[in-house]
Amino acid sequence: MKLAARLSLAVLLVAFLLAPFLVHPGLVFIAGFAMIQIVFALSWNLLFSYAGLVSFGHAAFFGIGAYVSAVALRYGWHINFLLIPPISAVLGAAAAFLVAIVVLRRANGIQFSVLTLALSQLVVVLIGYSEYLGHDEGISAIPRPVINLGIATLDLNNPLASYYFVIVIGLIAIALIWLVVHGPIGRTMQAVRIDPERAAFVGIDVWRLRVVAFTLSGGFAALAGSLLAPWAQIVHPDYVNWLASAQPLFATLLGGAGFFWGPVVGVLGLAWLNYAMRTFVGLSEIMIGASLLVVVLLAPQGILGALRDAVRRRRGKVAGEHR
Amino acid sequence: MMSLYLYAIYNGLVLGLAIFLVSSGLTLAFGIMKIFNFAHGAFFMVGAYTAYALTGQEASSLFVFLGAALVAALLIGFVGVIADFAVFRRLAGVPAEYTLMAAFGILLLSNGVSKIAFGQAVHTVYPPEALSAFLDVGIPVSVYGLFIIGAGIVVFLALEVGLNRLWFGKLVLAVARDPWMANVAGLRVQRLKLFSVVLAFALAGLAGGLLVANQALSLDLGHSYLLYAFCVVIVGGLGSIRGAFIASILFGLAESLNAVVLPSLPGIATYSLLIILVLIRPQGLYPELSQ
Repeated sequence: MKLAARLSLAVLLVAFLLAPFLVHPGLVFIAGFAMIQIVFALSWNLLFSYAGLVSFGHAAFFGIGAYVSAVALRYGWHINFLLIPPISAVLGAAAAFLVAIVVLRRANGIQFSVLTLALSQLVVVLIGYSEYLGHDEGISAIPRPVINLGIATLDLNNPLASYYFVIVIGLIAIALIWLVVHGPIGRTMQAVRIDPERAAFVGIDVWRLRVVAFTLSGGFAALAGSLLAPWAQIVHPDYVNWLASAQPLFATLLGGAGFFWGPVVGVLGLAWLNYAMRTFVGLSEIMIGASLLVVVLLAPQGILGALRDAVRRRRGKVAGEHR
Repeated sequence: MMSLYLYAIYNGLVLGLAIFLVSSGLTLAFGIMKIFNFAHGAFFMVGAYTAYALTGQEASSLFVFLGAALVAALLIGFVGVIADFAVFRRLAGVPAEYTLMAAFGILLLSNGVSKIAFGQAVHTVYPPEALSAFLDVGIPVSVYGLFIIGAGIVVFLALEVGLNRLWFGKLVLAVARDPWMANVAGLRVQRLKLFSVVLAFALAGLAGGLLVANQALSLDLGHSYLLYAFCVVIVGGLGSIRGAFIASILFGLAESLNAVVLPSLPGIATYSLLIILVLIRPQGLYPELSQ
């Protein structure tokens, strides 16, 4: 089963890498967009599955990255665009750090979730005031950059170059998140999620660890956001509001919250549903709503959890316990 | 200048009680299910559309208007029965995030169905003739606004008395506080939960029917009120009707005075107030014992 999982992961990777040669440009656009959403969902899941914090306002950090890179491109900042994703990540992490040290002192559980929701809605309101950020209409017609790599230049106006730019940065981000989760910080986070009191008892500084987790997560979300401007060429407040914040939650629970790769499966599933239902007004919402209900009621472990159980059952090892 | 503030305060009260009408059901649902029922906003919207479909652009009389709101409440309450049997009851033992996601699924479902059933147009609905007048008491006061204030107070008193004084309300509170213990004590937990969920849904439908003429009727109607209602439930104390009542009025006044005091920064007061109040008093104005 481990082998099957690794094989499917490899197939997925190859599919992402070869997409421009296999499918039509519309689907390539969706693939690039899905990669951005994957990084965003993984950054959220870092909080949810590993640190046990449910953020309802994560799109605010995504928005920081998106608007930084949109502004840099739209107003022609003289800066190598290769530096924009790291700069966005640092800014997002800094903002997340400030939020975390204030919010986590006072609130946890549902209060934490609603405070993050309120803060992100405040960001939406503030964007609406700003002429520079294009009020409620956002920033559109964002030019794609030409990146100077020293020995060569990378012109993102070439569709292939911009696709691989998004995919490579996205894969780097995924690899970094994987390292965080599987390293000592990730293990400590899990301890805190499972039992904060006991974790504190064995000497883990719970509050500090949550701040670290929130900071890292905000940084990765901003990194994902910074890829949006050159790819979609439009950034608007709808990417920042509470419905955008709910997307990683769906993706994670749909794919399987207990799995590192759960959000990836979830994002791809949602992207496929949206694509398949794109021509029917209202029907896409009905289908997504219905599939969320089906997953919750029939496979509460998500798609990956259902697959794992199916494999176990075929081998005769019925788990048996009620979850 | 003075009358401007008076007018803002009056408008704030109307908005506050309107928010309370929506958040009363959400508060009740939170007490029982311990989650934010995202679908609440959608059912509020469906309730408003139902009333609109029954009365047209202007209800012929106050009784027709009230009757339509009642029908909306019954219809949404019936949806609540289905939702409880098909979804919420089956998710009683799993972590709350899954109920949350189910509620979001129901939200998307009802949004999609409404899009197909009602279309994307924006409608303007007028209050019935009996409520459409304006009184002049120094400032122009709409009778419909007074009606909303009155309806909000009536719903508040009914819930407050019903939950805290009547035997049935006490049973519901017992289940909200500790379903396991209530079960041990021999209460019919499932049936009481069903009753509360249906009541919460019906309140959403009722609010939709009563507030249909308060603003333009569109598919986005649920969103703005839903966010207010979230703020109210948190600040009120997670399931406390009394807290929700006070918080609703606070948010209504904040939003309304925002337009007078800070006209260049629309919409900032609500979220700032929420953040300040939660940081000062994270447990809420009237913390529920079970939290």
